[in-house]
Amino acid sequence: MASDDGRRRGLPWRRWNNILHRDLGYFCVALTIIYAISGIAVNHVHQWNPNYRFERVTRHFEAIPVSDRETMVAALVGALGLPGPPRRSFRPSPEQVLLFYDGWNVEAHATEGRAIIERPRDRWLLRDMNFLHLNHGKGLWTWFADAYAAALLLLAITGMLVLRGGQGLAGRGKWFVLAGTVVPLLFLLFQRYL
Amino acid sequence: MPLPRLGDSTGTVMKNLTSRLAAALAAGLIVLAFAPVLAGDAPGKVYGQGLSGGETVAISQLLAHPDKWIGKTVRVEGTITGVCEKRGCWITIASDKEFEDLRIKVDDGAIVFPAEAKGRYAVAEGVFTKIEMSLEQTRRYKQHHAEEHGEEFDPASVTEPMVFYQIKGTGAVIRD
Repeated sequence: MASDDGRRRGLPWRRWNNILHRDLGYFCVALTIIYAISGIAVNHVHQWNPNYRFERVTRHFEAIPVSDRETMVAALVGALGLPGPPRRSFRPSPEQVLLFYDGWNVEAHATEGRAIIERPRDRWLLRDMNFLHLNHGKGLWTWFADAYAAALLLLAITGMLVLRGGQGLAGRGKWFVLAGTVVPLLFLLFQRYL
Repeated sequence: MPLPRLGDSTGTVMKNLTSRLAAALAAGLIVLAFAPVLAGDAPGKVYGQGLSGGETVAISQLLAHPDKWIGKTVRVEGTITGVCEKRGCWITIASDKEFEDLRIKVDDGAIVFPAEAKGRYAVAEGVFTKIEMSLEQTRRYKQHHAEEHGEEFDPASVTEPMVFYQIKGTGAVIRD
């Protein structure tokens, strides 16, 4: 009888725990996928651009002499067969002219007769994921992201308590928790303190 | 009152919990959707802290008399001639004088300038700063620049450390 009472007393909190774990898990699915994919993408920012791919085409033309900017811009538009005058232009040096169009631009070296036409393209879906993950939007998204982080914390804690007995934290679970704790500690030890 | 069993979708508590979660999500999405309206009608897109209303200084003036401006908060404006491709952590703004531009550097992640901002018009604010590089830093910087532009680079050609000026940006407005 005493044992039955104890089980009855122990059930509610675990049931609540499991309900919370299950429903928070459902709620966090989309954002967890987004954060995971974006996390991998931005981890490798030194090897690739996680937001854009740049289409760059090199074109050659007959060299144009250095003169004033307007004259050089008009000559480059003709020489490269560009669709009209640019919205804006800039000369970083007497020989170089940058021509800016809507969504693309041209970097021309007039006296060398060489130009690079560059057009940045969003990486489909990935840029949106990075926008959310890296909180580029700021403002209200910051609060939502904080709430998501708190939900992840709850997921971690309630996840440890879903099962009991040999499959639970008191059983094999503790070894996995221990392993998951030791790995980052080892990285800290070797990469930061030794 | 006994608690519903786990997995009992008809349980009152479960219904309430699910309804509240859905309502909170819907409310959050509505607020997010209307955030731009609530934020006001700024001329152009605002980045970081935006603009505080200070006086604009010509970039040519800053670069002609840099010592006068070091450490001061300044506002500059002009065509965006370059954007940090990977992190969006800087832009360069064309000077009013030819062959000059000035970099606006922001802390990584604090402001993220989009690549498509190149060629648009920016008004930016921040603290005018002097950067003094060592010879080794200068070589690495020039090597990186040469690699980006597909140019050949000989480290031995760099014999003087570089000094340059930039604005540590706090906010900007970018418009077409």
